[in-house]
Amino acid sequence: MESPPDSKALGVAYQIPRNSLALLMIAQVVVVVPYALQLSPWIIGVGLFCGYWRTAVFQGRWDYPHRWVKAMLVGASVVGVAVSGVGAFSLESAASLLILAFALKLIEMKSRRDAYLVIFLGYFAIATQFLFDQSIAIAAYELLAICVVTSAMVGLNQLHTRVRPGVSFRLASTLVLQALPFTIVLFLFFPRIAPLWTVPLPSVAKTGISDVVKPGAIAALTQSDELAFRVVFNGRIPVPRDLYWRGLVYSDFDAGTWSVAAELPPMSKERMPEPTSGGISYEVLLEPTMSDWLFAMDTAFAQSPQVSLSQDYRLRSTDPVLSVFRYPVNSYPGFVMDPVLSRRLLTRETRIDRSDNPRIVAFARDLYARSGNAEEFAVGVLKHIREQPFGYTLNPPQLQDEGSVDQFWFDTRAGFCTHYASAFVYMMRAVDVPARMVGGYQGGEINPITNHLMVRQYDAHAWAEIWVPEKGWLRVDPTAAVAPERIESGLTAALSVADLATLSAFTNARLGDWSVFNDMLYWVDSMEHRWNLWVIGYDTHFQSGFLKRMLGELTPVRMGLVILIGGGLSVGLVSLTLFWRRRPQKRHPVERLFGKFAAKLAGYGIRREPQESPGVFIRRVAAEAGLKEDQVGRIVAEIDGLLYNPTVPSESVELSQLRRRLRWLQFRLAFGSAR
Amino acid sequence: MTTAQSTAQSFFSRRFGRFLDRRIPPSAQITLSQRNVFIFPTQTGFVFGGLLVLLILGAINYQASLVYGVAFLLGSMFLMTILYTFRNLSGLKLELINTRPGFVGEDIEFTLRVVRPTGRGREGVQLGWPDGIKQWAELYEQEADSVRLYVVGAERGFLNPGRLLIETYFPLGLLRAWTWVDLDARALVYPKPIFQDFPLMEQGRRDEGELMDPQGSDDFTDIRDYQPGDPIKHIIWRSYARTDELMVKRYASFVEPRLWLDMDSVQGALEERLSRLTGLALQATRREREFGLRLGELELKPAVGEAHLENVLRQLALYGITTR
Repeated sequence: MESPPDSKALGVAYQIPRNSLALLMIAQVVVVVPYALQLSPWIIGVGLFCGYWRTAVFQGRWDYPHRWVKAMLVGASVVGVAVSGVGAFSLESAASLLILAFALKLIEMKSRRDAYLVIFLGYFAIATQFLFDQSIAIAAYELLAICVVTSAMVGLNQLHTRVRPGVSFRLASTLVLQALPFTIVLFLFFPRIAPLWTVPLPSVAKTGISDVVKPGAIAALTQSDELAFRVVFNGRIPVPRDLYWRGLVYSDFDAGTWSVAAELPPMSKERMPEPTSGGISYEVLLEPTMSDWLFAMDTAFAQSPQVSLSQDYRLRSTDPVLSVFRYPVNSYPGFVMDPVLSRRLLTRETRIDRSDNPRIVAFARDLYARSGNAEEFAVGVLKHIREQPFGYTLNPPQLQDEGSVDQFWFDTRAGFCTHYASAFVYMMRAVDVPARMVGGYQGGEINPITNHLMVRQYDAHAWAEIWVPEKGWLRVDPTAAVAPERIESGLTAALSVADLATLSAFTNARLGDWSVFNDMLYWVDSMEHRWNLWVIGYDTHFQSGFLKRMLGELTPVRMGLVILIGGGLSVGLVSLTLFWRRRPQKRHPVERLFGKFAAKLAGYGIRREPQESPGVFIRRVAAEAGLKEDQVGRIVAEIDGLLYNPTVPSESVELSQLRRRLRWLQFRLAFGSAR
Repeated sequence: MTTAQSTAQSFFSRRFGRFLDRRIPPSAQITLSQRNVFIFPTQTGFVFGGLLVLLILGAINYQASLVYGVAFLLGSMFLMTILYTFRNLSGLKLELINTRPGFVGEDIEFTLRVVRPTGRGREGVQLGWPDGIKQWAELYEQEADSVRLYVVGAERGFLNPGRLLIETYFPLGLLRAWTWVDLDARALVYPKPIFQDFPLMEQGRRDEGELMDPQGSDDFTDIRDYQPGDPIKHIIWRSYARTDELMVKRYASFVEPRLWLDMDSVQGALEERLSRLTGLALQATRREREFGLRLGELELKPAVGEAHLENVLRQLALYGITTR
């Protein structure tokens, strides 16, 4: 026999069903909308306009775009992305192009093949959204978006004369729901590996901290209440004044600007062994910063292979932090950083251009001459700040590039942490005491629900470190001298009424005493925290930890086996729902009861003839056993009454009464036959 | 394509054909089950797989858990659709219920009945012969559907459209479940009719014509003995007076005698002759003329009507063809 030809030879309906088309247009809007937060508005506009165009084509009001119109749209879009200011190789430009391709493909879509392309682009756009934001809210939204896109795909394969979009959506949602168990299995057990190559990053840094600080330039510090990181302590949470989250070290000063010095090779873990006692153990869940700075308390040691220790005792991540990054840390407050300072660092940490700010250099030399040593000199400077009319404000007057330190110290005398830290370090260096500015966060708020510490962008802080032989680097916070409340109880305590007014209403509400609102925020925060712990922060490191606890030793065979078993169970579960057929109607409860009774009697050798009805059988055996008619007549009447009543519930008073009577009869018959 | 390739291809297709014959033997009625339903990703399915690989690469490079999540969800969905796609065909009962014969070059109609088990509806079930257009069976709301499929009759005789394809891409189009069943379908294809001038005078023998309308005719034919029932005005009274025997004159006209369709009466090669005879048979039936058929030793008595025509066409279709 000749083999059947390929099915492609058979005509396949290639048109897109109207039902699927409608769903595709809905899907387009659903997918594009969340990008409004990341991409320029015109891209969203183009996306929605294309959706409108396609709807008009669908309704027969407009025509498909002409070929040259399409070419023009594509050209204009690419040029638009190129000139829109985001970096050419940034994640934003890639996402912009993706959204534009998705939108433009939609208007020219005619065949099924086009529809599948649009659907796949839709899935891709949904996944790309997670590179910008992985919060619970976005995750829930995108799950819905996946259902909508999937329903368009379902619609392509349903009989289009019958099906309405709602039907396709319901089926798609069921499918997504049924896919969830195996998704979880894969999520937990699919091996996570380290990045293979570098990828375009989002161009916007999210953090309120940067590697360049210019105290005079910022008129007002942005006070965002965005979360910087959460910390889970394994023991007690230290008091607020000890919570200095060190992240950046600024060693270079030039023209009023502090910047992070050129990179030195990281410290080797062999040369710098971790102390064995006196540590504070905790885990940090850092929100994406798009950079490699990590924040921890002094002096931090992290055993994770993805974290390294720099020569200025900062923790660094091996890759930029693009999504929530978890790292466990042990901090040793008593550890001496650099008991001996290398010549190279000595030069680096004392280098300033003294000619820039001659007044403060003279002031420092004078005070140092009276103090005698570095530590006493530092105390003297703090005393000076405390005693002189220095003020703490978030809205300081602007300073010139040249002589900015002089200007601050002698003229304006108002500023926030970086002004004080900068002036302090400058004075130290002016008398050749090694000193540097440190940036990071200070303090934090405890969430009573999950008992973790929340550190927000408005907790950003800068302080100073001076080096003293044998004692190493010592932390000095000049801000504490001008506004001790800032360190003891957080930002608001240190702020004037005028400063508070500049904060957003939301931040004020958060900082205020409105407890219902705060409780709600705590609850939301703890949900996000759990989400970060179990979903977003579930990376290579934590997967191996979790799997070792679950499976013991990790071998590829074991992992594969777990995934296979998980897959089998999930498929089995779904096939149950798909292939399960309702079993035939249950037997009548009285029949079941009588069946058991007859079986018991058969055990005593009393057999029921096939043609005998329950009543007839009972009368016969009762007569054979010599029982009287009035003793069994009631049972027979009851059985017959119940047997022909189709609505007997499986548990009822009558039924249990009958059960008792049958048991009595069974006993009598057994006793009788034994005799 | 090189010869080696085509040889290899035909080798495999023959092997596949034999495999199918063993796996799904011909039968007038067939129920689909895991024994005879195949399932494999479509081209779209492979592209979807490519998308998943891209997503996982993105998830690795960006270390984004939820991108992994999307990839896993889509992958898991793909796995679950295997069940959906298979279930969509499983349990369907197929039966050929009718065929309608036709002429060469025409669409020959096959009517199939598809019945699904009670319970959940089936969607997007398509049926088709290898050389025909596929049809959708509506099995969502109704439990059974009749599907008419058409195949062009290429040559006269029995048309065997081959194995019937039943396939579905439901629900996502990523997978195709299909099977090739042999319903032992046969439909008769009559020769393509060639119409020519209908013969007014026929070559039939004179004595075989039927005497019609004796009363209305005035062509004298012969004289014979009176038989009861003969019209009185035909009695030759002069002859009766002379011989005392009642003789009657017979007047009659032979209305065109019975038509015989004969191989020898038409010209051309064998197929052409059969086509011409087919044309004549059709014309004769339309004119309600009685005709007979002679094909070699086969002879069909003259008759008229649809049933006779069908019989004649059948003989013409099968002439020289050994039937199974």
